[in-house]
Amino acid sequence: MAKTETYNIRLTVNDRPVSASIAAETTLLDFLREQGFIEVKRGCDKGDCGACTVILEGKAVLSCLTLALQADGCKVYTVKSLGTAENMHPLQKAFVGHEALQCGFCTPGMLLAAKALLDSNPHPTRGEIREAISGNLCRCTGYQKIVDAIEAVSKGAYR
Amino acid sequence: MSTDYSVVGKRLAGVDEKDKVLGNIVFADDFVMPGMLHAKVFRATKASARLKKLDVGKARALPGVACVLTAADVPHNESVKNVVGQTTEVGLLEAKHQVLVRERVRYWGEPVALVAAETSKIAMAALKLIVAEYEDLPAVFDPLEALKPSAPKIHGNNNVIASWKLRKGDVAKGFAEADVIVENTYRTPRQEHAHLEPESGVAWVDDSGVVTVRYAAQVIEHYRDIATVLGLPESRVRVIGTLIGGGFGGKEDVTVEVFLALLAWKTGRPVKLTYTREEMGYGRHKRHPYVLKYRTGARKDGTLTAMEAEIVSDAGAYVYLSPWVLIYSTVHSTGPYLIPNVKVDARSVLTNNIMTSAFRGFGGMQTVVAYEAQMDELAARLGLDPLELRKKNFLKTGDVTASYQEITSEVRLEECARKALEALGEKAVASSPRRKVGRGLACCWQSYGRMTYLHDTANCWVNLEMDGSAVVRSGIPDLGGGQRESLRAIVAEVLGLQVQEVHVISTDSQVTPLAGTVTATRALYMSGNAAKLAAENVRRIVAEKAAEMLGVRPEVLEFRDKTVFSREDQGKKLALTDAIKQCLFQGKVPQSLDTFRAPFTEPITSDVIKDPVFPDFTFGAQAAEVEVDTETGEVKVLKWATAYDVGKAINLNRVEGQMEGGAAQGLGFGLMEDYLEKDGLPLTWNLHDYLIPTSRDVPDIKSIVIESESGKGPFGAKGIGEPSISAAGPAVANAVRDAIGVRVSHLPITPERVFFALQGREKA
Amino acid sequence: MGGFRFFRPASLAQLLERKRKEGRRARILDGGSNVLVYVKEGSLEGGTLVDVRKLKALKGIAVRNGQVEIGAGEVIADIIASPLIRRQARFFAEALQQFANPLVRNMATLAGNIADSSPIGDTIPPLLVLEAKVVAASSQARRVIPLAEFFTGPGSNVLKPAEVITRIRFPVPGKGRGIFLKFGLRHGTSCSVASVAVWVSTRGGRIEEARIALGGVAPTPLRARLTEEMLKGQNAEAGLVESIAARVVHEISPISDVRASAEYRRQVSGKLLAKALRHALGLEE
Repeated sequence: MAKTETYNIRLTVNDRPVSASIAAETTLLDFLREQGFIEVKRGCDKGDCGACTVILEGKAVLSCLTLALQADGCKVYTVKSLGTAENMHPLQKAFVGHEALQCGFCTPGMLLAAKALLDSNPHPTRGEIREAISGNLCRCTGYQKIVDAIEAVSKGAYR
Repeated sequence: MSTDYSVVGKRLAGVDEKDKVLGNIVFADDFVMPGMLHAKVFRATKASARLKKLDVGKARALPGVACVLTAADVPHNESVKNVVGQTTEVGLLEAKHQVLVRERVRYWGEPVALVAAETSKIAMAALKLIVAEYEDLPAVFDPLEALKPSAPKIHGNNNVIASWKLRKGDVAKGFAEADVIVENTYRTPRQEHAHLEPESGVAWVDDSGVVTVRYAAQVIEHYRDIATVLGLPESRVRVIGTLIGGGFGGKEDVTVEVFLALLAWKTGRPVKLTYTREEMGYGRHKRHPYVLKYRTGARKDGTLTAMEAEIVSDAGAYVYLSPWVLIYSTVHSTGPYLIPNVKVDARSVLTNNIMTSAFRGFGGMQTVVAYEAQMDELAARLGLDPLELRKKNFLKTGDVTASYQEITSEVRLEECARKALEALGEKAVASSPRRKVGRGLACCWQSYGRMTYLHDTANCWVNLEMDGSAVVRSGIPDLGGGQRESLRAIVAEVLGLQVQEVHVISTDSQVTPLAGTVTATRALYMSGNAAKLAAENVRRIVAEKAAEMLGVRPEVLEFRDKTVFSREDQGKKLALTDAIKQCLFQGKVPQSLDTFRAPFTEPITSDVIKDPVFPDFTFGAQAAEVEVDTETGEVKVLKWATAYDVGKAINLNRVEGQMEGGAAQGLGFGLMEDYLEKDGLPLTWNLHDYLIPTSRDVPDIKSIVIESESGKGPFGAKGIGEPSISAAGPAVANAVRDAIGVRVSHLPITPERVFFALQGREKA
Repeated sequence: MGGFRFFRPASLAQLLERKRKEGRRARILDGGSNVLVYVKEGSLEGGTLVDVRKLKALKGIAVRNGQVEIGAGEVIADIIASPLIRRQARFFAEALQQFANPLVRNMATLAGNIADSSPIGDTIPPLLVLEAKVVAASSQARRVIPLAEFFTGPGSNVLKPAEVITRIRFPVPGKGRGIFLKFGLRHGTSCSVASVAVWVSTRGGRIEEARIALGGVAPTPLRARLTEEMLKGQNAEAGLVESIAARVVHEISPISDVRASAEYRRQVSGKLLAKALRHALGLEE
């Protein structure tokens, strides 16, 4: 097999600098998980499920369809940037309080899609909430409590 | 109103939920070990063939490849299960599954070889270097074709691998008494579980030579299957189950664990295997597609007089749990109705399609499609309200079913159905003259607890620490349904603790007492009862000592907030920790390891089921309102309500969560999900082509939790895991029928099927 | 998968030079949502992955000389949010709102969707009725290609190996109304079974001009010119419009696939078109 050319990448993840030497076709998802950010999940690797959602330069995107090198020099945020055990983000508190999760596999991506929504549209209708998370599949909850939780935060709860 | 408890029945968040929102859970694929290899599976690309030649030489020689295994390398390549309870017509069935193809390929995607390499990339490159040559063999893909004597045989000399019947009364007489008879054939889809987390695990051999597999398992007892295949003693294999990213039965049969164990054992290094989403499509079992031919007769006033059904399920290329699934179908086939004359013939037949096995609902669910459609058709023919017709026929406590099982718990079907319909509110007005609004109701019953002839048990070990906190050890896996959290709540309730003071250790076959599978809606019933039993025994030990210390009878003692006090004299109290200290001092350790046993019955020996098979049933109803675009056939779901008698809700949030999730998964089954194959070739193997409901496809769902406290689970609980899906597809099917005036009996109800139904013809 | 190189051009000139050298082996990622899927599926054996996410030359949403000009590197979410597009080409913003889902809209570009040339590319029917043109550049030349002449078959187009789409432009829509109806098998993200875009203008209750584009019913997205002609000059009334819409079946050649049968596509196209026309003409639904 031919020697694989590698490229240097340097970016910040959750405000922490991360650098490595990677193959060109390494996706941002591959890169993040290899660097230990296992909270970013691989559900399908083809952009159909949303489990790999991260925030890249302020936009919620699918990390499995983003080349890592495209994020060189950029800021990336995963669910761990939302809060800590002592200081949870209102959305995290709401998801727990409303039980807007069961297995939790879609949850990291779902929380980021929700955050992206509320950052740009602080008072969405339920329809707008459903639209905003329509790229994040959930097989366990039926979405009901997820929509309820996001709506509750938009109305000031859990702050 | 149901009993008020301190912890049980509340909407309490658990420890696991917090970890999940923080992103702290280490799922199966998140786990890494030093020196870990990456595995890939080489699969057959033929639906029916003889493997003529298999050359793995080049793959083995690729730098970075640690090993390539074929059938010759597997100590016991056949994993053989005697499927207990087979009918005499079919004969004792040995369901033989080969771990890797030795010679005969029976479905596209069947595993042929295993590769373990330093990286995933190298493993994939190695797959490309494996050369396999096949000789095509005759194949059959339609189960009805496979029934014919002339059809190619998949195994042995009979494609029918299970056959069950119901016989009650005299259907000829019953139909003669009917004023109206409705007959129809229904088809249900091959549904894919589509859980978000792919099958995955890591295996290694530990310092004491124990082959350890840490993977997403619904059944940790698979360590026995691994031991059989590897030819090892069962005590030398350990399964650690992870918190699972969804299962629904997809992680119930053997998936990655045997492959992982083989590779770890052969290489002596840790190995990881994670299925791709595509592999989950063509490499893992699905829900059985069914063809259900139903004939139902009723009098003018709506009372059912007779029911006759022929049911055929597509078992795919290997038997797996098909016979059991068929038993569920047969027993549930009448619906939750008292019918005096019943004749049901059900068969499960092999084909060269992908294998079919466990999926939430397990055969009971497919029959709801038929029997609830029949009820609505009868109502239409008789000019009766659909709920009124059903009310005339609902089973009652004390009734005996067509499989000769007495209903011993409460049946709150009328309440469930009425409340579900009421929750839909006022019927929506169609948004345009070209759209039609319709409403549908579906009632169902679904068993909870495994079939009783399997002699199900669950173990649990509870102990109190010196500081009054408790530890619960249970083998029960957690798929996300909160199985662990339920144990926490139950033990906290019994011992008078906060949930945060109860720690649960679970899902390790060598460390936690085995509690059985998370399947068959048995987790709460079995592991919950086991935990309650153990906690009560711990309580007894402490109560005895506390009673002695307080000079009262143990029966009057209450445990609350880490205090033990007399109910008759609140002044007589002491700290829980003091009682524990005294227990320990006297060598009476506050711990208990207990076994909860479900009712044990004898194996079914005849093909006619005429003995109780299940511990009990959950009853419920769902109602949907839809708007159909008559120009395109598109169905928009406007409203949804689901109402079930769960006996007792240990945690209301979680029970509603199951109901809502089940409704959505059933909505998918009803409207959009179908795993398609053409001549055995997979067509919809990813989430791009296999569509599951998104947040835009599911409306707001109203959940109505009814608590009769009449169940056999802890605190009178029944089960909700599977019942919650069963009535969903039928509800939306009935709603579409109500909207357009004609029935689509082939699910999923795609726009195309609606479109052609409106034109007066059914398109397959 | 393997043997890929990466290149991020600092200028348009650098990009074009690389394309001149490597032709189609230099794959522009655009949003990545198509190309990376092909990389993972193994259908691209090596080459250079070119990142143009931050290339200024491919950015910009402006109106120049009565033309809306959108840079090839603009993501769909930004086009939808652009005040200029919302003001001057509202129909287009509404059409793009139906594209996939919010995550994909944050990544995908018009150029990517056009270059992928799928018969069901959902940005294409709206662009066809807007009479869009694609500006393609190579290191040697620059040409403007009407979108209606761009596609040659499923997944193929007239772009030369060294050419890159730099801009998409369409005349600022005049008086009239447009609508895009995307029809899939679920309400969330789905591949279109069929899609219809319509742009109509009326005068005195008569249809002055009708532009119709369909996706998913032929080897490429297409304009239904014969049906357009039939509508011209007709009274804008529902019955008439519907019977003419049904004739669109003569201009399409749908296939059967996992999503739908050819027969269904044939019949539903006319219905979708009728629906779209009724909406656009303000006729009762």
